Amino acid sequence: MSSRRRQTVAVIFGGRSVEHDVSIVTGHQIMNAFPADGYEILPIYISRDGRWFTGDALGALDNFKDGNILRHDSVKACLLSPDTRHHGLIIDPLAGRFSKSDVKRIDVAFPALHGSHGEDGSIQGLLELADVPYVGYATLGSALTNDKIMTKTVLRQAGIPVLDDQWLNRETWLERPEACIDEILRRFELPLFIKPATLGSSIGIGRADTEALLRASIDIAANFDRRILIEPALTDGIEINCSVIGFGGRYEASTLEQPLSWDEFLSYEDKYLRGGEGMKSAERLVPAPISAELTERIKAASIAAFKVMDGRGIARIDYLVRPERNEIYLNEINTMPGSLALYLWREDDYTASDLVRKLVQLAIDAHAEKRRNHYDYQTNLVALASQRGGKGSKAGK
Amino acid sequence: MSEILQAMLAAVWLLGAGLRIVRQARFYQIEEYMSGRYLRWAASRRERWLPARSISAWMLGIAVGALLAEAPGSSLPSIVALLAAIVAILPPRESEVKKSLAVTPRMKRLLLSACAICAIAFAAGWGAVSAVLPLDISLIPIFAVSALGCALFLLAPLWLVAGNLLAQPLESALRSRYLKQAAEALAKINPKIVGITGSYGKTTTKSFLRDILNARFRAYATPKSFNTLMGISLAINRDLADDLRAEYFICEMGAYVEGEIDRICQLTPPDIAIVTEVGPQHLERFGSLENVKRAKYELVKNLPADGVAVLNWDNPFIREMAAAGYPETVLTVSRDLTAEAARAHGVSWIASDVQETLDGLSFTVTRPASGEGAQIMTGILGQHNVTNLLLCIAAAHHEGVALRDIALRIRTLKPAESRLVQERTAAGITIINDAYSANPAGVVSALKVLGMHETGARLLITPGMIELGDRQDEENHKLGLLAAEYATDIILVGKAQTQPIARAIQSTSFDLTRLRVVETLSESIDWYQENLQAGDAVLFLNDLPDTY
Repeated sequence: MSSRRRQTVAVIFGGRSVEHDVSIVTGHQIMNAFPADGYEILPIYISRDGRWFTGDALGALDNFKDGNILRHDSVKACLLSPDTRHHGLIIDPLAGRFSKSDVKRIDVAFPALHGSHGEDGSIQGLLELADVPYVGYATLGSALTNDKIMTKTVLRQAGIPVLDDQWLNRETWLERPEACIDEILRRFELPLFIKPATLGSSIGIGRADTEALLRASIDIAANFDRRILIEPALTDGIEINCSVIGFGGRYEASTLEQPLSWDEFLSYEDKYLRGGEGMKSAERLVPAPISAELTERIKAASIAAFKVMDGRGIARIDYLVRPERNEIYLNEINTMPGSLALYLWREDDYTASDLVRKLVQLAIDAHAEKRRNHYDYQTNLVALASQRGGKGSKAGK
Repeated sequence: MSEILQAMLAAVWLLGAGLRIVRQARFYQIEEYMSGRYLRWAASRRERWLPARSISAWMLGIAVGALLAEAPGSSLPSIVALLAAIVAILPPRESEVKKSLAVTPRMKRLLLSACAICAIAFAAGWGAVSAVLPLDISLIPIFAVSALGCALFLLAPLWLVAGNLLAQPLESALRSRYLKQAAEALAKINPKIVGITGSYGKTTTKSFLRDILNARFRAYATPKSFNTLMGISLAINRDLADDLRAEYFICEMGAYVEGEIDRICQLTPPDIAIVTEVGPQHLERFGSLENVKRAKYELVKNLPADGVAVLNWDNPFIREMAAAGYPETVLTVSRDLTAEAARAHGVSWIASDVQETLDGLSFTVTRPASGEGAQIMTGILGQHNVTNLLLCIAAAHHEGVALRDIALRIRTLKPAESRLVQERTAAGITIINDAYSANPAGVVSALKVLGMHETGARLLITPGMIELGDRQDEENHKLGLLAAEYATDIILVGKAQTQPIARAIQSTSFDLTRLRVVETLSESIDWYQENLQAGDAVLFLNDLPDTY
């Protein structure tokens, strides 16, 4: 990339998702990670209600503090054109008499969106139509990993251990709540976890120790998703996360972490943090304090899961681990992990800048790989059909 | 030499007048550009219209100047007058600013015309002075400039009012253009319009209804408490215009005088009208509750014959609106009636078994006519919200949202801004922010919520209620009695208007060492930050505009 022209990287953040705010932070972390030379960073902000904007003011996190981001003069409406010739943005698409629309080419798109309409394959679908290279999972992988129910279905098939579960649709829940509760309680004992199938950042997730709480938690989850997943809540498990990067057969798994809840942090404080390590390390233990054997198993499972989901770019893969019983359960795959899991990759000697440059390169590689497909296949079908005066449309099939 | 000093003196006074105009503009704005209300505010305290420092500095300057007048031709008196002027015009330190001046385009135009009028007045004044007085006598010019300048400075409030009058034709032309633009934008989108009015509960009901309708449709609601004609057209022009998704436009409509809602309804003719409460809010502007009722009823009258009115049956004034029998479809809700009584009175929806814990409200909603019902649970606090929720349920159900869907959505409702919002600080103190509700019903609910915090001290911080006309003392007295019952500590903000509350508290067995009266909100915040600890709770009940 040394002597080439600067690459325009469009970082897309915000989005029509309950994780809108997290995405703003992730987007700015990513924009700040790019070295100033060699890249032109184009911020694209999608508002909570799904409107698209671009402009310099979007590049500074401070401007988002007071909720008046859209009032900045430099912020303009835009849309990502699905027309392949535009290869990017149309800025100010409804320009009137006193302004002018403009087309801005994008070399690589970097979606920094979390959750719905961003991590679920929809923005990826738009980028596929536009034929613009983009960072991260493609449509199939995004759609699969975004849905916890489908993720587990595929992983079970691939022989990767996951927890037993039960799932239900919102319609069923609204029509026959009693039957749903009966079935759940027949299969599982409390406590249970209730999760919207497609959400991250623990929004809408509830833990139920009683039947009343189970009902309340399903109601709440049903406000966030049509599909609801119910799993036993392991009382003796710890959380372990592992990040994976790669594409096309070459994958790397990162050092593992054990994220800590506030309670756990307090109980671990004496053990690990004596000597004033600082608050940052207090949120997690890196590397995770588990055996070398378990570590290796988790890394291997992570790469296998990444691959079976048609992984590309980066993911953070979360596990529940019972160290005493030597059991691991893959919990979920995040294709746009918060902070890009940089705190893990740092252990493996990646800087933030290394990581984003690598991801941009993987996006370009994947896009190039796709060019091995033919999308244009010339036939004389239309000419034949018109000769028959349109009557032959059926025959031509 | 003396001419230069005179010019400087004039410049200082004019600068001072300009600064004072800008300072005063903030209060003019808080009084919503209503000259009468603003002038009454300015006249109500001597310091507001005759600042002690300015006037004494000016008089001292004249006196000392006169004493120094012995040496003819000396510029000493001029210099003294200049110094005095500078001391006089230095803006005073402002007490607590809760709402700073919003420099809107209208405000810019007002400031410009007010300053222009002030400058013209100076020129005219000087012309008159030079015609009458012999300016060639040594001290006369300097004293004349001084007197004229000081007068212009003190009259700043009048320049604002005059500026407003001057800008009036332009403002009203701009206003009608803006309204036309809003009407056109609305016509293009053509959403169903839900109008919500009432003495209180409007903003909360609006935000609940938006969230509930959004479970099935696309509903847009006016933001925050925008509820005047211009506020609504601003919301339309700024946010709704070109938003072709909107199926419902939920429009909060406020009124201070009769006729106001009629005017709003010309811009946003309602298909559905919701009336939350008729109460003593802004009573001093309305005169009587009967007038309040008439003003709110304008919303129902503006419905088409096939429109829908959704009314709070528990309020006797609104019950009369229902009895009037317009339009064809009138839905009423009650949280007081039993199912039997509701059937007898033809009430559409009722709530029963209302329970409130710190986790929120729960109740059973029933439609007595059909027996249909659902269990409602929500994190929303405050029992007055049962009525607000019932109104939303009635409206949403009428629009075709299934009762079960409504109940599901109510689970995750969030309170509107600063209306019984409960948060826990890092220090473990619970803060109940009810700064925006200032009505008798809301006060009872809020104090009950405070009373549920049994783990520690319960601090109430309040400036009391205002604008309740002749009911004000009585309602604040009730507030005091309830406060003594539910709070363990009380801070009253502002000695003058909280006297009825303090007297009520003193009449109870409340430990008076735990009652404090302070002058500013920030003093009360300092106190709670120093004295409360984990497990304690503090309720911020109402907040007053800076004009109090």
